[in-house]
Amino acid sequence: MSSAQPVVDASRSAQGTRIDLDGVSRRYRVGDVTVTALEQVDLHVDEAAFVVILGPSGSGKTTLLNLIGALDVASEGRVRVAGQDITAASSTGRARLRRHTVSFIFQSFNLFPGLTALENVQFGADVAGRADAREVAAETLAQVGLAGRENHFAHQLSGGEQQRVAIARALATGNPVLLADEPTGELDFRTGVAILELLQQQAAAGMTVLVVTHNREIARVADRVIELSSGHIVGDGPPAGGRAPVSELHW
Amino acid sequence: MAIRGLLLRWTLRDLRGRWVLVAAIALVLALGTGTYAALLGSSDWRRVSNDRSFELLLMHDVRVTLSEGLTADAGALAAVLGRIPQAGQVEAVEERLVVPTLVSVPGRDVLVPGRIVGMPVDATVDRLHVSSGRGFAQGDPAVVLERTFADYYELPDAGTLEVAGGRTVSYSGHGQVPEYFAIAGGSGGSFTTEAGFAVVFAPLATAQQLAGAPGQVNEVVLRLAPGADVGATATAVEEELAAEELAGTAVVKADEIVYRTLYEDIEGDEQFWRIIAGLLLAGAAFATFNLTTRVVEAQRREIGIGMALGLPRWRMAVRPLALGVQIAVLGVLLGVGVGVITGRLFGGLFRTLLPLPVWVQAFPYDTYLQAAALGFVLPLLGVAWPTWRAVRVEPVEAIRVGHLAAKGSRLTPLLRRVSLPGRSYHQMPLRNVVRTPRRTALTALGIGAAIATLVAVFGILDSFTSTLDDFDAETTRSAPDRVTVQFADVLPEASPQVAAVTGADEVGESATTLVLEATARSDGAVVPLVLSVRDIDGGLWQPSISGGEPADTATGIVLSEVAARDLGVAPGDRIMLEHPQRTAQGATQVTTPIVVAGTHPGPIRAVSYLDRSQADAFGAAGLVNSVEATPADGVSRDELTRALFDVPGVASVQAATALTDSFRGALDAFTGILGIAAAITLLLALLIAFNATSIATDERAREHATMFAFGLPRRVVVAMGMTENAVIGFLGTVIGVVLGFLLTRYTVEVQLHRTLPEFGMPATVSLGTVVVALAVGVGAVALTPLLTVRRLGHMDIPATLRVVE
Repeated sequence: MSSAQPVVDASRSAQGTRIDLDGVSRRYRVGDVTVTALEQVDLHVDEAAFVVILGPSGSGKTTLLNLIGALDVASEGRVRVAGQDITAASSTGRARLRRHTVSFIFQSFNLFPGLTALENVQFGADVAGRADAREVAAETLAQVGLAGRENHFAHQLSGGEQQRVAIARALATGNPVLLADEPTGELDFRTGVAILELLQQQAAAGMTVLVVTHNREIARVADRVIELSSGHIVGDGPPAGGRAPVSELHW
Repeated sequence: MAIRGLLLRWTLRDLRGRWVLVAAIALVLALGTGTYAALLGSSDWRRVSNDRSFELLLMHDVRVTLSEGLTADAGALAAVLGRIPQAGQVEAVEERLVVPTLVSVPGRDVLVPGRIVGMPVDATVDRLHVSSGRGFAQGDPAVVLERTFADYYELPDAGTLEVAGGRTVSYSGHGQVPEYFAIAGGSGGSFTTEAGFAVVFAPLATAQQLAGAPGQVNEVVLRLAPGADVGATATAVEEELAAEELAGTAVVKADEIVYRTLYEDIEGDEQFWRIIAGLLLAGAAFATFNLTTRVVEAQRREIGIGMALGLPRWRMAVRPLALGVQIAVLGVLLGVGVGVITGRLFGGLFRTLLPLPVWVQAFPYDTYLQAAALGFVLPLLGVAWPTWRAVRVEPVEAIRVGHLAAKGSRLTPLLRRVSLPGRSYHQMPLRNVVRTPRRTALTALGIGAAIATLVAVFGILDSFTSTLDDFDAETTRSAPDRVTVQFADVLPEASPQVAAVTGADEVGESATTLVLEATARSDGAVVPLVLSVRDIDGGLWQPSISGGEPADTATGIVLSEVAARDLGVAPGDRIMLEHPQRTAQGATQVTTPIVVAGTHPGPIRAVSYLDRSQADAFGAAGLVNSVEATPADGVSRDELTRALFDVPGVASVQAATALTDSFRGALDAFTGILGIAAAITLLLALLIAFNATSIATDERAREHATMFAFGLPRRVVVAMGMTENAVIGFLGTVIGVVLGFLLTRYTVEVQLHRTLPEFGMPATVSLGTVVVALAVGVGAVALTPLLTVRRLGHMDIPATLRVVE
């Protein structure tokens, strides 16, 4: 895998990558029952950091990621991303934020089966409105180590390759905040490590990268670990024992 | 036992979750089967209604009409019948006097050509059925108006009206006689409408007095004993009349244009309905296959999990097969409903268009049973195939993530090499179309079948309209405002009656013609003709000559292209022409060989022309029975018509375009029937498109959620769906238009020509019809994703993104 330099759009990085959540709660109604996914969460993430949100299943970590990514709306509290208050933003406003500020990587890749690897990546650049979308896509795909696989469809790629295409798609948007939901969840150890390395490089290059995982081992390579349990933040700080290099990971 | 209960609960839960989809697919199927049952079932009740109506009024077995202008003393024709060999088989005979006339519609400034039918007050053949008011009474001269004419002009049950020659008559009611269940009053027996042809049923004495022919008759109708040889009787009557120098033409019941057409129309319609119903059913079947296949495929992972847990394959097949049963049951029930509603609409239209004395609309159980069987089997077949495929996949394959994602077809790589314009998401609709060719093909075929039906239905109307437009253009290419004046009798050209017309102040230019009924024969083929003896190179109007040399037209007959085709002749060939010839005592029927000099493109088969220079050979030199006249300067055509109406001896005055005008009127009525079929096809196309879109929205939920996660606006996602639908709709429309044109050709040039050989027309599909097809097949189909806007708006994006197929 080549050393990937992010293709952050300079005009977008200028708007900042800071994330602020103040007193944020998220509740759902399931029939007659109200389920609290997050309760009074306060969180502030400085710019250009590699942050891991850690917690067991049902702790609210994905809900937190969705609120930051403007896919979901808080029941109470305030959410600001890159200087924009999205607490009461309209669906159009939230879509605009997703288009120009944040980008996603999913556990199950969610690639478009009808598009080639290159076109999937180009999709990210296109949606973000980048003028040189195809060139950016080709460059980004090469950066994640998939040069020569441009014309392959999703089903012709391995799981690790599909996830790298998904990362390239997110990077090709040029958006400064990268949100990854269990990005290594469906990958083997070796491929998972490679993916983490790639994400770490993005943070090093100036992006804010938030990775949601239940894998405590992954937290070792983060700049900061936020631990969730039952919708509350129960821990926030650097990894215990200091940040480890990716090469030391094993699970 | 417990697993059966679980599967049943699961199936019911499936139904609760997708009842809208099940209902929509069932409705698609119901439109196909219901229309199939209603259309084909109409033949049974139409046939029964015809039988009972003709029998009720004791329709004749043979009708014999004397040649144009000939009459005989009352009793003479009945006496002739007593001398034929089959006289013992004649059960009832009635003499009539039938003369052309012109009727002034009471309360309106409208003159309508028509016919006075003088008949016995208490006829035993061709009885009068009174629909309102009262009928004939002994000693009462009051007449009865033909029902549809009276209804069209909303005439009261009783009153007075004026007929040609300025005579006023009283009428006492509205009624029908079998020959006039449909109005066949145009030249060559062509059909016209109640608005354009007035039939006045009169006691014989009244008719004789109105025609100025006291004690005269010119027609005889008879009923024969069961088993009698009708054809031989007709021939014998003709021969006996000819011997008396009373040339006449005998027509047997089966050849009566109204009788023949009412039955052949059912057969012709049945063929046409079979095509339409078959197409609708095919459309519904394609749609059902497409939709059920996709619903079942969505369950393949669950089927795989079940099998992985050790459940037998057949048990896992229960759920998808239950879907087929649900659709089948609901489809059959809805199909009966659609059939009954469509049948009632059809019944109502037929009662209006063809108000027979007896209408019996029985429920056609057999046809409905057939349709129900089809409706039940189709969805079961639709789910059987994908279920079979699903249970044959190894469980490990079925439960693998990504197994169900469309992997692209062999066509997909082709698009990879094609540089498409626009951003990647602009290209996705086309890529989606190509990567799922089976899905695309089934949806396009479903839409194509519906569009083909639409095009075939409108194509028939187009063919009529185009033919009439051409005929109008031909008729009006010179002296467009001319009128045709018909005399009640054949007259010498120098007679005072003719001079009264040609010399009238309101007449500008004029030309005389002689119109004869004749019969052309060639190699066993027989075609009845209306022969116009005229100046082919002069006069006010000359026919276009499409075949042969114009210079030869003075040496032979000019036939319509349709007549030439039916006779199997071309210009230069010789035919035998059977025609009346005047004698000192009256007229006799003679046969003259004649060369076909040319052909004309007119659509009415019977219309033929003979140059006046050949009239002598036909014993018709110096005789006329018609004048074409243009209005004098400053006189309108209506003023000319009104002025000539009052001239003694004039039977009718009509505009040159009267024939096409009446056909256009008939077409409007026809449009009503075809409109129902068109509405059903429209509904079917939209339902197919909506169902396909709805399922596509479910199938692509994760793709849509991913797009939303990347910030793609909802309108763009909807527009992508619209584009994809437009592409599939376009493919379907192209298939539909081509198939529809072929069906139009078959229906118009084969089926319709068999039913109505008197009228020949080429099949035409107009640009307007293609535009309508595109509007429905592409426009309306493309708009259906708009119905998913709300659903997309309420999508739970995070939940959808995490759903593992």
